[in-house]
Amino acid sequence: MSRVVTWRALVAFGALAALPALPLTSKYYLLLAFDALLFGAIAMSLDLLIGYTGLVSFGHAAFYGLGAYATAILLERGVLSVWACLAGAFVVVSLYAAIVSYFATARRGIYFALLTLVFAEVVYTFFRYTQTFGGSDGIQGLPDAVLWRGVPIDTPERKYYLVLVYLAVAYAVCRVVVTSHFGRVLVAIRENEDRARFLGYSVQRYKMAACMISALLTGLAGAIYPIRSAFATPDLMLWTESGEFIISVMIGGLGTLVGPILGGVFFTLLRDKVSSVVDWYFIVIGVVLVLIVLFMPKGLLGLRRLVGSRPWRQAA
Amino acid sequence: MDYLVAVLLPQLLHGLVFGAALGLLALGLTVIFGLLGVMNFAHGELYMLGAYAGIAVVGLTHSFWVALILAPLSVAALGAVTEIATLRPIYRREPLYGLILTFGLALVFREGARQIWGGDMRRILPPVTGSTPLLGMTYPNYRLFLLGASSVLLLAIWVFFTRTRAGVLVRAAVQDAEMLDGLGVNVPRLFTLTFAGSAALAALAGLLLAPVFTVYPQMGVEMILLAFIVVILGGMGSMGGSVVAALVIGIAQSLFALWMNPQRVAIAIFGIMIVVLIVRPRGFFGREGVLE
Repeated sequence: MSRVVTWRALVAFGALAALPALPLTSKYYLLLAFDALLFGAIAMSLDLLIGYTGLVSFGHAAFYGLGAYATAILLERGVLSVWACLAGAFVVVSLYAAIVSYFATARRGIYFALLTLVFAEVVYTFFRYTQTFGGSDGIQGLPDAVLWRGVPIDTPERKYYLVLVYLAVAYAVCRVVVTSHFGRVLVAIRENEDRARFLGYSVQRYKMAACMISALLTGLAGAIYPIRSAFATPDLMLWTESGEFIISVMIGGLGTLVGPILGGVFFTLLRDKVSSVVDWYFIVIGVVLVLIVLFMPKGLLGLRRLVGSRPWRQAA
Repeated sequence: MDYLVAVLLPQLLHGLVFGAALGLLALGLTVIFGLLGVMNFAHGELYMLGAYAGIAVVGLTHSFWVALILAPLSVAALGAVTEIATLRPIYRREPLYGLILTFGLALVFREGARQIWGGDMRRILPPVTGSTPLLGMTYPNYRLFLLGASSVLLLAIWVFFTRTRAGVLVRAAVQDAEMLDGLGVNVPRLFTLTFAGSAALAALAGLLLAPVFTVYPQMGVEMILLAFIVVILGGMGSMGGSVVAALVIGIAQSLFALWMNPQRVAIAIFGIMIVVLIVRPRGFFGREGVLE
């Protein structure tokens, strides 16, 4: 077994693949599992940026939403192939991500967070008010996508397997990235950007590349979403959505890849369960977030070194 | 000439009024950022709570002026408690944690307000009615009062930071909190009081703008984005920069509204920010190496 493909990962994905076969799994729970795994995949992609490179993106909802809109627009116009949707999302998201990452990676710390946030807000405003794309209602009532001729993705099982395959591919990509030399440079940048620069690494290029990979994985996850939900709305791009991605990463534990997947799953289930009981579930989520930051900063599985003692106020 | 007096001038004044109030909001954000290294995501919610606290006090006492004193005080108290309970334990951690923590606080405050006061739009009647002839046009008195009050407040803040011992201590803490601690100043208390002060400013801005805008639980979300843009434009940690940028954004926004529909205005504001950041990557008054 290599560093990328481990026994543990194989067993985990095997278990997930067997989930629909369980007698207790209803259609509702399969679709909930879809949401949970998709959220996990996004949190994992974001972890590449937050946990490994030390850049907090508050604009990942834009990548997600753009991917979703790419699929929605194509499906609406009768292009039903999943591959065409993924390719469309890939192109759109890479164009946008190239612009954002060029400007945002020029700056560090809080600036990066705010710039990604503001760029995402531009995209949100655009889709929110453009009637061609349905304005605030978004694009609704999409037809089922087709994997290839005669195989539509119409049942919850097929949708579930689609997201599972996506998660497996995305996980493999992330593992390759973080175990490569490239990934080690990203960690070096997180730990000490100036030192990485003095060692001769073109820091901004590395950061841009990390941004692009993370954005594209998130965008492709977005491209899958309308295949399950049959709609795309501007709310997918709202900055609070970006916040929920970050929450998932935090819950799971920074810089662990697997942690954020668990965090995303946990968050989705928490939201589903709490919101079916009370209508003030945002308070519950907010309190959970505050408690995690205060008492469990390492998340479910996390790094110890991020939390060490620091001087009073240190530059980011 | 008619166009100038009837359209351009009132709009310019609207912009100035809004910009001054936005300045109050952004200033608190800047000071907290400089001091604690935390970009306070809950700042917009403190602004929102200021307006709701104002509504509550007006409902009890039927006086806007009492509300203008009590609402900021109560929000400041909430700010102080919040700071002690949640931010103080994480001073020494990465700024990331402050960002996420305040995001969680914002969720709690926003949903809390919705639970207590409901999600409907509300209004406060302006305490000052009528309008005054001014430069050939008539302008609502309340907006003039708003402009006057914001200007006085901004001036008072400037005097506070330059002329009083407490203000100088806050600025010293921005420079080097550890040194200040070593010199025997109670830095945690300073932080708490500053946070409470910034919360009071946000609440004041919220209440002052409430008769002009509508009050609803989400109102802070839209303002905080604008305030973030102002802080970035002005240069992180630069208080003067924040005020200048707030006025620029306020005026730009209201002038653009003459020629564009609202969503174009929003995009144009983002456009301004991006252009400024290309030309001056650190904003108007940001200095190299400060808080980076």
